[in-house]
Amino acid sequence: MTVSERTLSTVTRPSRLQRIKESLSILWQSKVAVAGLILVLFWALAAILAPAVTTYKPNTEDAQAINQSPSASHWLGTDHKGRDLWSRVAYGGRIVLVMWPITDSFWIPGGVAIWGVLIALAVGSTLGLMSGYYGGWIDEVVMRILDAMMAFPTILLYLIIIAAVGASATNVVIAITIAGAPGVARLVRSLALDIRTRDYIAAAETRGESGLWMMFVEILPNARGPIIIDAMLRVGYAIFSIGTLGFLGLGLPPPNPDWGSMVQAGHHYIFNNPWGVIWPTVAISSLVVGLNLLADGLREESLRYQ
Amino acid sequence: MSADLEWTTDMDDHGIKTPILQVDDLAISYETRTGDVPAVRDVSFEIQRGEAHGIVGESGCGKSTVAFGIVNFLGRNGRIVDGHILFQGQDLVGRSQEELRRIRGDRIAMVYQDPMQALNPSMRLGDQMTEVLTVHRDVEQKKAEEKCIQMLERVYMPDPANVMRRYPHQISGGQQQRVVIAMALLNDPALLIMDEPTTALDVTVEAAVLDLIAELQRDFDTAIMYISHNLGVIARVSTKVGVMYAGELVERASVKDVYLKPYHPYTQGLMRCVPRLGMDKTSSYLYPIPGRVPSPKNLPAGCVYEPRCDYAREECRLKKPELREIEADRWARCHFAEEIAQVSWEPPADLVPDLAALEERDEVTETILEITNAKTYYEAPSKQLIGGEAQYVKAVDDVSFGVKKGQTLGIVGESGCGKSTLVKTIIGMEEPTGGEFEFMGVDVSSPVSQRDLALIQELQMVFQNPDSTLNPSFTVGTQIGRPLRRFKTVPGDQVRAEVVRLLEMMRLNESYYNRLPRQLSGGEKQRVGIARAIAGRPELVLCDEPVSALDVSVQAAVLNLLLEIQEEIGTTMIFIAHDLSVVRFFCDVIGVMYLGQFAEIGPAEAIYAPPYHPYTEALLSAVPIPDPSVEQKHIRLSGNVPSALNPPGGCRFHTRCPRRTEMLSDGGTICETEVPPERTAEDGHRIFCHIPLEDLRQMEPVVTTTE
Amino acid sequence: MLVKDYMTRHPLMAEPTMSIVEAQRYMGENDIRHLPVVGDGKRLLGLVTRQSLLVDPGRLGSLDIWEIAGYLSDLTVKDVMVKADAVVTVEQGVTIEEAARIMVGKKIGCLPVLGEGIVVGIITEIDLLAQLMKLMATQEAGVRVTVRQPNRTGELAKMVSAIAAQGWGILACGGAPAPKDPTKWDAVVKIRNAPREEVVAALETVEDQEIVDVREV
Repeated sequence: MTVSERTLSTVTRPSRLQRIKESLSILWQSKVAVAGLILVLFWALAAILAPAVTTYKPNTEDAQAINQSPSASHWLGTDHKGRDLWSRVAYGGRIVLVMWPITDSFWIPGGVAIWGVLIALAVGSTLGLMSGYYGGWIDEVVMRILDAMMAFPTILLYLIIIAAVGASATNVVIAITIAGAPGVARLVRSLALDIRTRDYIAAAETRGESGLWMMFVEILPNARGPIIIDAMLRVGYAIFSIGTLGFLGLGLPPPNPDWGSMVQAGHHYIFNNPWGVIWPTVAISSLVVGLNLLADGLREESLRYQ
Repeated sequence: MSADLEWTTDMDDHGIKTPILQVDDLAISYETRTGDVPAVRDVSFEIQRGEAHGIVGESGCGKSTVAFGIVNFLGRNGRIVDGHILFQGQDLVGRSQEELRRIRGDRIAMVYQDPMQALNPSMRLGDQMTEVLTVHRDVEQKKAEEKCIQMLERVYMPDPANVMRRYPHQISGGQQQRVVIAMALLNDPALLIMDEPTTALDVTVEAAVLDLIAELQRDFDTAIMYISHNLGVIARVSTKVGVMYAGELVERASVKDVYLKPYHPYTQGLMRCVPRLGMDKTSSYLYPIPGRVPSPKNLPAGCVYEPRCDYAREECRLKKPELREIEADRWARCHFAEEIAQVSWEPPADLVPDLAALEERDEVTETILEITNAKTYYEAPSKQLIGGEAQYVKAVDDVSFGVKKGQTLGIVGESGCGKSTLVKTIIGMEEPTGGEFEFMGVDVSSPVSQRDLALIQELQMVFQNPDSTLNPSFTVGTQIGRPLRRFKTVPGDQVRAEVVRLLEMMRLNESYYNRLPRQLSGGEKQRVGIARAIAGRPELVLCDEPVSALDVSVQAAVLNLLLEIQEEIGTTMIFIAHDLSVVRFFCDVIGVMYLGQFAEIGPAEAIYAPPYHPYTEALLSAVPIPDPSVEQKHIRLSGNVPSALNPPGGCRFHTRCPRRTEMLSDGGTICETEVPPERTAEDGHRIFCHIPLEDLRQMEPVVTTTE
Repeated sequence: MLVKDYMTRHPLMAEPTMSIVEAQRYMGENDIRHLPVVGDGKRLLGLVTRQSLLVDPGRLGSLDIWEIAGYLSDLTVKDVMVKADAVVTVEQGVTIEEAARIMVGKKIGCLPVLGEGIVVGIITEIDLLAQLMKLMATQEAGVRVTVRQPNRTGELAKMVSAIAAQGWGILACGGAPAPKDPTKWDAVVKIRNAPREEVVAALETVEDQEIVDVREV
């Protein structure tokens, strides 16, 4: 048999780089995903590069220039305290997307929304994998508890958690985790239920692999596609929720710029100066829409790819 | 067989001579993201009135695309780019949907592989059937019902009036296919296209459906285009056959000619790589076709088969051959058809196997696996809301056998007979309900999670579905390396070298190490699966239908590989399959299972010759054999396989046994009440039947060669 | 011998919108003389014969020469066919002689065969003539004898037993009143594997019967 020799030339060895390039190529196939990516990248870059792309400090008040409309000196106008809206909006994105301040002086990269979703993913995936892979009473117990949590209106859950533990960036992360984990768990469980019927799972079982290996090495990597897409949507929802919490005064403590609290502060002056409300709202909605578009585009394209 | 179908005599020559279907130079392409894919090119054939024409080919050769082209069902991205399809003399290509509908009307019907594709799951079968008559034809509801019941009787559906009131899921797959065929015939079509209609069915059901198709074709004078990958099935139903390869028709002639004296090298290759019923590994060898089917995007410039052809010459590489008439009514697409048909084919030297070595194996007597009274029951959910007695599906019920070291035990049986459960119980994926399981002197009735690593290492499995046997997220090297690391078969720094050695044993070279499963073909995936199973050097390998999802040419290569491995490392194997020819070829001992029990178990050659268990006899007579010179007894089982939830008492086969009334004095009433005794013939051949061994010996062999 | 066994199943058929030019080509190419016109579900709408395709010269005469082409191309089979209610049809279950009687009586060459209202086949005079050939075992070799016998019961039996006495096989046998003589009956019999002289000798012995024609075919 000369099978291997004859087929050799037709298939090239894939390098890791090529694989990444290949998966990115899916992204470029979809116009929707690209549009979403542009929106998301815009806000991400604005937040990361905030000190470089703004001319004012976000908390610098200028009593001479309150409630101004957009102009050459203040691109997006100013708020009721004369703070530059562009720099506030740009800095506002930092806490959501770029940095998680654990204490006043110490922060870790990755915003509150992103960390919240990542932790929700970790917790939810573990629970979902256990439910889906082991089944039986573990499944029953885990799913009933999660069902009970999901039966709670999300916003109410946020309010209760924040009211109980106080408003801080870390607590917002905890709230996002608790509110998001059940949904992730459900998704991962359904994926695990499907994947565990595959022959390669049986093969691993006949090798006597441990439960942890089965869940995290055999099952999880094959569920990654839907999980990534779900995570993008979830980041969007988290941003939304952070906005809501901020608006209700339960978000991040002032005076740090935060989109939700900007709307809250601005809405008193909405008839004098609508810009103070418009810009942070635009920021929230365009980022959420961007993430949704990106997720939708990727999902559609990956389905077509099969 | 096919000869019976030659009903045409000179006298009928006055009729219409226009073929029912004439396909000329048909080319069909699919648009994809990366450009047009020419799925079918240059296909020409015709089907005369009342003729059954087979189209045979491996997966992806375009045979279904041709059918979909004829019924204009190519989907959004498919289109006919060239050629003509003349149905009863009228061209179907280039007409609008509406025109097509009018011309074709109810005169072409199609039957698919999956009957559920044609049946609406939420409608009663009766309503679906009568709709055919009432919508276009204004037949009264009551008359339509009568007519449907008649048609169901015609397709030998038991209790048709009752079936009319049922939903599709309430009847078995074989019955669903009968309903679909009956529905297709209600319109009295001139052409019936059948796309693998029996592929999903068990062999005994398949045999009955094939009989039905042949009979209906005669009675209704319907021309049939029968698409299948199975050479045996085609031989049974059609008079003519076209062989397709990589989107082209490479040979076309009468069934007998194609099977006995194929012209095209591909057809010849196909004939050599299928095991015929009766062939075994000590006396014969399967010759796989080297290489793989070219992708339609990247076709060779000359003959499409040239890269894999043993006879390829310079001309083949440069010039594309035409489908030409070699002799009267025998067409082949090969430059050298006349020459190569004369040359008797010699296998390439590196392929000539050492059959003697196989035969000379020492007779070993050491029993490696001993199973006594094995039982595996599944609890079925009770139908009552509260309480209710727990019911058990007796998937494996009281099975005893032993496997000797180095031997291969084959287990055959139809779907649901418990063969997979038995294997899963042995390997520890299912917990047995009872019985003793002893492997190399150790008890193995515990589930795999409670076994120690040394035992786990000795029992490994090869799976059926090539698409799911490998984890899509990891490279081939990682996956074969995993058991090596886990069982510490080799020191950590030698894992890669060992993986490469295993790959080479599978005839895959080192470049496969870094590939992902989706970059492999079905056969290659299966080989990696085998490599993974033998990596830990297990004593016993359990193979669950390892070749049934593969194309025949690939199947041969994988079977050969398994044989070589066994020879090289002396592994014992249990081999499950539903294909009796493959099992006969591959195994030393064969067990025939029916409803969770062995009907018969014994040396391979003894199973395929009298004395037979009546069930084995029926199975053997149902196997489609790709050889028109072979005569088969005609035995068809009636009824369905009873539910394992509530198996019949006495002998489980008594509800369908065609032999008991004629061969037992009291008409076989004993079979209904008493469990059959174990009758032992020579060489440990055990038959579980009430009919005395002497009478079973009197049976005629099922398969006889006429020439 | 019923129509359903001798008709042509799955005949070529036309849809009503087919142009007559197309219909003419279709019939010509496929060498058929009758074309049933069917609607949805193969219900019979009419019948086109070669006769129907002949253009009425009277109507053409009134047209200008350049109008003729347009007139012809607009004409569909629906315009020229014999409408369904005027088409004589048979059911599949009738005997072929009944079909013949209808065709002779109406002086037509073809009968669409209906089964539950839809066209299941077509039977033409050619089918019946082919059957006559088969009745007379035209394709087989043998001795064909015509015997003129009195028109009364038992005469045919006498002849047949004379043949049977010799151990010959009868390929075909038929009878009809003798032309212009109502008192006589002409029986035709075709015998397999028998020398002509012996056949003549054997049949000459039968009383009151006279051999009018012997030939080996």
